[in-house]
Amino acid sequence: MTKIKYYFPKILLTFLLIFLLIGTELSLLAHQSFLTYKAFETVTVQQHLDEKAYTAVENYFKSRANSTGIPAEVYLNAITQENMKQGILSSVSEAFDYLHHDVKTYAFTMDFTALEASVTEFFNQYAEENGYQKDEVFQQKVQANIQEAEAKILYIADTFKFGTVAEHGWLTKLRQFLDIFKKIMTVLCISTGVILILLLLCCKENFSELFYWLGLTGIISGLLISVPCLYLLGTDYFSGFVVKDAQIFSAVVGYLQYMTHQISTAFLITGITGIIFLILFGIIQKAKRDILPRL
Amino acid sequence: MAEHNQKSSLPVYLLTGIFLLILCVAVSIGILIMPYEKAQTYLNIVFMDQNMKIAPSSGLNGLVIKENEIETPPVSDIPEEQQKFYENGKIIRPAFGEQYAVLKCDDISLSVPVYWGSTSELLERGACQTSSSVVLGENGNVVIDAHVNTFFADLPKLTPGNTIVLYTSYGIFTYQVSEKIQFLNTDKKYVLPTEEDRLTLYTCEAQVLGTSDNRTGVICTLVSKQFYNPAEETNP
Repeated sequence: MTKIKYYFPKILLTFLLIFLLIGTELSLLAHQSFLTYKAFETVTVQQHLDEKAYTAVENYFKSRANSTGIPAEVYLNAITQENMKQGILSSVSEAFDYLHHDVKTYAFTMDFTALEASVTEFFNQYAEENGYQKDEVFQQKVQANIQEAEAKILYIADTFKFGTVAEHGWLTKLRQFLDIFKKIMTVLCISTGVILILLLLCCKENFSELFYWLGLTGIISGLLISVPCLYLLGTDYFSGFVVKDAQIFSAVVGYLQYMTHQISTAFLITGITGIIFLILFGIIQKAKRDILPRL
Repeated sequence: MAEHNQKSSLPVYLLTGIFLLILCVAVSIGILIMPYEKAQTYLNIVFMDQNMKIAPSSGLNGLVIKENEIETPPVSDIPEEQQKFYENGKIIRPAFGEQYAVLKCDDISLSVPVYWGSTSELLERGACQTSSSVVLGENGNVVIDAHVNTFFADLPKLTPGNTIVLYTSYGIFTYQVSEKIQFLNTDKKYVLPTEEDRLTLYTCEAQVLGTSDNRTGVICTLVSKQFYNPAEETNP
């Protein structure tokens, strides 16, 4: 009964600390690592998204040439891989501007000055060579063609599909969530600190025992999160992603793997820290055992 | 006494750790089971391709294109002793993305491979037969389309009375153009299944200033079916 009285508050506090630590660590990781512009930029570079997006643009306009008769070069000479990279990063920065309330609506665009000039020049040349009248219908067709091409390029450049997310209203919901996310993060940090202090107070008679409880907290929280993450990475689960457009596949799978890798690394470190605490606890206990007979 | 307490607490420490681990795993499962069950359907759909984890790089999105050698000799050139055809015969069903026929029309000097299925990748290589139409040799509407700037550039030149021959590995199918057609891309009446045997060929209306919503083509009536092998007899 005495032992239960002795252990119960510590078990309860450790149990709470495990989940609070998981929550705090995950929220800090989200805030500092994977819910940042930098994370998406890293994935863009790691996965060569600009190259894949440019290939998709190339394939699209080459394929379109078979039904429109407009040579793919009319578009491709005005769009470069660097343009696609800027476009991808611009779609991400626009999304984060929206999430951080810097802009009121999510509207992502690219600089199409060169494309518009190239298409207009091609149509004008065609009209002059074939004696086609440059009337209102002609201008409408030129505009329609430009708009169609721009919409397609924007669609391809939006590799992380923020446009689709915004269309379905999920970006607004995410923004609302992020508004309270910082408060949640603060509450989690404070709660973790309070539980730690309480645990410290519980262990004031035998201070070395704090290492044991902290060690358990580290190991268990590390196992709870890193094991599922390592399973997801080991089985390559995300590669079962059903959308097989090269740029979308690489963006989504690359980001999910990046996020899982970050989480698993952080919680493996937590687990290792826990093991170190337990070893310290064992060393202290052994030292006490060695010292006690001499007293 | 103190040493005894230290020694006896070792199993307690161990058991406490195991107990806490089990408790936390149980609680985590308890907390996550409901959201997981709700999300499972979506997860299964989004990550359903677990058996084919190939990162797309070729741009074919999993499509397997198969080329076949199909001989296209005019019937008159086939030696008489080999000219043994059957009106009803064995049909070899193609796989999606497989070239299974060659379409020829001497009147407009047209010779184009025909693929089973219709995708932008296949349209790059030849004419495509929509997989919702019937396989050559079966009764119904055979619907084939191709790009106007490549393989079907001369399709509008076809006139009623022209002959079209489709060669496959299992037979030769001859059609005659009966009607020229024009329809909107949203109008499905010419590509729907029919009871009578017919061949429908169509392409986009040629228009250099962007794409056209109009489709142009021909309807052909069946003249003859010539199978190389007889249909397999089924036991009663």
